[in-house]
Amino acid sequence: MIERVLQTLVDVVSVGGLYALTALGIGLIFGVMRLINFAHAQLIMMAGYAILVLFSQSVPLAIAAAAVVAILLALGTERVVFRPLRDADPATLLIASFALSFFIEKTMIMLVGSRPKGVDFLPELARQIEVAGVRLQLLQIVTIAVSGALLIATTWFLRSTKLGLEMRAAAENFRMAQVLGVRANRVIAVAFAMSGILAAAVACLFVAQTGLVQPRMGLQLVVIAFVGSVIGGLGSLPGAALGGFLVGAATILLQTLLPAELRVFREVFLFVAVALVLLLRPQGLIPAPGLKARV
Amino acid sequence: MIGAGPVLEAKPDRRALVSVQGLVVRYGPITALRGVDLEIGAGECVAIIGPNGAGKTSLVSAIAGLVRPAAGKVVLDGLDVARIGLADVVRSGVALVPEGRNIFGSLTVAENLRLGATPRKDDRIAPDIDEIFQRFPILGQRRSQHAGQLSGGEQQMLAIARAMLSRPRLLMLDEPSLGLAPMVVDGVYELLADIKQQGVALLVVEQNATRAFGLADRVSIFGHGAIQLSGAPDAIAADTNFDAAYFGAAYADRGAPA
Amino acid sequence: MMAVPKGRDEGRVARLAPLLMLVAVVLLVAGAAELAPAVVQRRITQGLINLVAVVGLYVFVGNSGVLSFGNVAFMGIGAYVSALLTMAPAAKGVFLPDLPPFLAAAELPVAAGAFAGGAAAALVGAVAGFPLMRLSGISASIATFAILVVSYVVLGNWTSVTGGQNSLMGLPIYVGIWTATVWAVVAIVIAFFHQESRSGLLLRASREDEVAAAASGVNVVWNRFLAFVISAFLSGIAGVLLAHFLGTVRVETFYLDLTFLIIAMLVIGGTGSLTGAVSGALVITALTELLRQIEVGVPIGTTVIAAPAGLGDAVLALLMLAIILFRPKGISGGRELAWARGPKELKLSQPAADGHNS
Repeated sequence: MIERVLQTLVDVVSVGGLYALTALGIGLIFGVMRLINFAHAQLIMMAGYAILVLFSQSVPLAIAAAAVVAILLALGTERVVFRPLRDADPATLLIASFALSFFIEKTMIMLVGSRPKGVDFLPELARQIEVAGVRLQLLQIVTIAVSGALLIATTWFLRSTKLGLEMRAAAENFRMAQVLGVRANRVIAVAFAMSGILAAAVACLFVAQTGLVQPRMGLQLVVIAFVGSVIGGLGSLPGAALGGFLVGAATILLQTLLPAELRVFREVFLFVAVALVLLLRPQGLIPAPGLKARV
Repeated sequence: MIGAGPVLEAKPDRRALVSVQGLVVRYGPITALRGVDLEIGAGECVAIIGPNGAGKTSLVSAIAGLVRPAAGKVVLDGLDVARIGLADVVRSGVALVPEGRNIFGSLTVAENLRLGATPRKDDRIAPDIDEIFQRFPILGQRRSQHAGQLSGGEQQMLAIARAMLSRPRLLMLDEPSLGLAPMVVDGVYELLADIKQQGVALLVVEQNATRAFGLADRVSIFGHGAIQLSGAPDAIAADTNFDAAYFGAAYADRGAPA
Repeated sequence: MMAVPKGRDEGRVARLAPLLMLVAVVLLVAGAAELAPAVVQRRITQGLINLVAVVGLYVFVGNSGVLSFGNVAFMGIGAYVSALLTMAPAAKGVFLPDLPPFLAAAELPVAAGAFAGGAAAALVGAVAGFPLMRLSGISASIATFAILVVSYVVLGNWTSVTGGQNSLMGLPIYVGIWTATVWAVVAIVIAFFHQESRSGLLLRASREDEVAAAASGVNVVWNRFLAFVISAFLSGIAGVLLAHFLGTVRVETFYLDLTFLIIAMLVIGGTGSLTGAVSGALVITALTELLRQIEVGVPIGTTVIAAPAGLGDAVLALLMLAIILFRPKGISGGRELAWARGPKELKLSQPAADGHNS
């Protein structure tokens, strides 16, 4: 019994952590640009392909390449697509990121085909270990550790560095931050680079978990993370992380608690629960400070 | 324009920090500024007085680079504001305390102040912030609280202190006394007098003339998007056209300034 | 608004001009299809079905300024409801042995099935829209994505009723060029009178400034909700048409790719006007057909040059990006068609708000 509870808890926290990382990457961009970035899925996907190409040569190299690819793609899309649209309203930005996301995905399908490819990435993490008499999968422990470390690192960056302070100020009131001397290009580029790093981390963990890379990967994660950030309160970073975690955790809990024949409908239960939360709190669990004032 | 000739004396001995030349600002079909000329020299204190909707906020916004002129230009230290980035205006020595303060409510008091020093690279920032905490103990006590929890007056002090941390040569304030109790306004104007003493030029925009008159070296009365009357405070106060200019601007039909 | 000096009747005609001209365009296209070879006629029929779907999406997106990712879900619901109500009981016995008896026995006339499909989509739209329309614009957009995911999961896994991942086959195939044309005209008429109605005009006003509109007493949530339900109905009808055009329904059809296609059509045509929705549907149908031909292979001399599979989708996505970046109001420029381009008519027919780049 204890074992089952602990096992579920580890499942919940590891999956929740993955979604929290995804939602945080999306939330960073939303904070400074009011952009919901669908193409975050393609950052994860392209990082996945970097792993596919390099994992057999060297694992550290594959991880580094995943990060570099995701950061470059994030910065490149910012420069080419989102910078010209910086003054556009959020609806236009949303449509642009949707189109961009499809463009990258379809181009990859055109180049490499849509078939999933197997990746035996970090097979050593698949083994079970015993913690306090309970058998757990090592990968889950690693996922929890990496998610936790990145959440802490991001928090530290935002709280304790000058750039982090500028990013938080820009998220609350971009114009006023600029009046005080905060440079828009720099802050936005840093936010995109950070979202690239988070996407690469998600890609590593996700590829190790599923053993597959395909052009459509990432989208499901990102959509659920979107919903998580709406629940948490769009524009609030703690809200995004919390919302992402809760939504990810809820999927696993539903998976465990629902009777077998209803398990396939877990998204339905999840989104109905989401709708109910939003009925009670349309601004999300942790409303963003800047957003209300500016509407 | 009333009194434009005799009272608008040039100051050839002082190089202008800011030179506003033929400035026109439009928002869609609405013209907010219709050809404004203004020069502010180093250390000079200029007050812009005028009723609501006269275009005063548009003027400071244009100087700060927040709105793009439809015609004319703003020159800071020889540079056209339209050509330098918004974030570089403060680097060329002009700081803005906008209407409504615009402090960052989700950041702490200390963080708000640190942001004010964004353009600076020197190591005097922390001592400067400590100095502010000594002068305003209430800000010091609440340094780790969210700035959104401060009272209106405290927020105004914070906004001015924040702007001063960029070490500006010109500080612009849009309606600094708006919504504050008279006693608090006294404090704000004491602070502004100190800032003036330090040799920082001031551009103060007010609806309420009395306080600004006491501080300013030069007063411009604004109406209908243009300067109606300009000169030394005493001269303006004595000018029989003052009421006409001020109230005329407020109530006269458009297109027919008093 | 009706202060047209030419006289009352002419003013009314001018006001109806966009509607009459769009209907004329659709009839012209259908007439041309009548003369074309069967293959081309099928493509044009498909284009008109797309048109119903895009106009359905426009009713909500164009007027509210809130992007919806959920309308393809309503298409799916319409398609499945109509399929279940109109398929021959024998065919249902084969594909859906576990169907509840009342559904297994049902065999409605196709028109009744179509209205039931639209009504079911509208009902789901109402139930889902009730909580979602209260959200601010961008959150509402994301929430409509949840509608798409939920419908995909339900349609794909409610095996006893929908057949799950398997296709349903043997639907009555009754949608040809003229059925599609009639529904295209109906969709345009509904969309036009909705946008000219008080509710539609208020919703357009709120698109510019939600807070100001709410402050001036406009019930943004209600007007949005109404548009969402009408939009869901029309999307449901589009799904019905697609199902009875193909003769089969498959859950995969009603997911991301179709969502992208319909949104791309609306954005490229221009979200701000009904003319944009109609032109986007027609132009992009033609373009995707052309690209599909290139993917299949173009004979040049004796060799066949074929582009890699997926080129069409990539080009469409790129075109959509280019439109957003360089012509944000789309092909239509956010305007409606008008008789003459005099300033008065322009003002009359121009939507209250100017698209997405303000």
